[in-house]
Amino acid sequence: MAHPRIYCFFHPVITNLHDIFFLFSKQNRTFIQMRTKLKVVDNSGAKQIMCIQTLKGNKKGARLGNTIVASVKEAQPGGKVAKGKVVYAVVVRAAMQRGRCDGSEVKFDDNAAVLVNKQGEPIGTRVFGPVPHELRKKKHVKILSLAEHIA
Amino acid sequence: MVIVPETIKSLELLSLGDPARNHLTAIPGLVECWCELMWAALRSRSLPLSPSCSSFIQQWRLGLSNLNRTLCSVLTETTDIGDNKGLLDLQEVEKVLSDVKADNITVIPVKKHCDFADFMIVATGRSPWHVRNIAQALIYKVKQKQKGAKRMLLPSVEGQEGGKWIVIDSGTLIVHALDEKVRAYYNLERLWTAETSNKEQTQELEKAFVKVRRKNNSKKPVQSNG
Repeated sequence: MAHPRIYCFFHPVITNLHDIFFLFSKQNRTFIQMRTKLKVVDNSGAKQIMCIQTLKGNKKGARLGNTIVASVKEAQPGGKVAKGKVVYAVVVRAAMQRGRCDGSEVKFDDNAAVLVNKQGEPIGTRVFGPVPHELRKKKHVKILSLAEHIA
Repeated sequence: MVIVPETIKSLELLSLGDPARNHLTAIPGLVECWCELMWAALRSRSLPLSPSCSSFIQQWRLGLSNLNRTLCSVLTETTDIGDNKGLLDLQEVEKVLSDVKADNITVIPVKKHCDFADFMIVATGRSPWHVRNIAQALIYKVKQKQKGAKRMLLPSVEGQEGGKWIVIDSGTLIVHALDEKVRAYYNLERLWTAETSNKEQTQELEKAFVKVRRKNNSKKPVQSNG
């Protein structure tokens, strides 16, 4: 399994036409909204979930560290969740960049989430892949403490 | 960082001064202090907790000065800290937990393989009410420490509604208060004490899928080409 890549970069300053062209040729990643498929990175049994609703009331969609309501589209046969179940999940990796307090931005290669119950406790016992620091501020220290690698 | 030239000066002083044994053994400690301070500055930058970026730096400096008291007289002179108003201390937390009669208190030092915390303390509560009580006792202790300060900095608490797993995040110290069943389910100690060996385990799994040639137990000799 290829390790997902993490990018951290500062915004380039527009100085000439060449830079403007460079900005427009970049893909503009957006939020996680209804029908977005996410990978599940814990050992709860689910493999793919599809977002149904974003909590927290943001109209545009969910970002890194937000909770979503999702439906399990693909699951492992002997897991804790079955296919078709409606679950809550916390987004731990997002392709959309998220700004940090020192001005840098983080973005990942894929969209990934960890299944959580309504009280916010993770259903699985381990989280795979890198997980950003942003979860600490969003009060998801439980997921951070189960993670194997923190970006 | 202002500290750096001071530490280099003191290093030179120590090396030029007494060739006594205690000085010689103390020198690597000072280098460690310096390296850890550099790492602390880098780490505190990456922590996105907004109100307390500077208090983390202060806490780091304090923690290190407590470690090597003989050497760090230089360090404590150069660093201007108030008292450690911030958050909890290891001994205080242990005292509070034993007062509340929490079971099975385990302290795990995670400095080496963890960026965001120094110590993880795991404690068990006998019932949801007991778990909530442990959390409340720790917060009460922090409030007492910060009595009279203009602005109180409380540690963040997660998991209060369901009383099964409450995490109290006070910067370098993270306290997990769990139910017994939940503790067995998540098994945090195994994850954090054996973190390096966990990675080795996954690597062995990959090796397991590699095809290995069967042993030849037949009487016929192996036909080798060429």
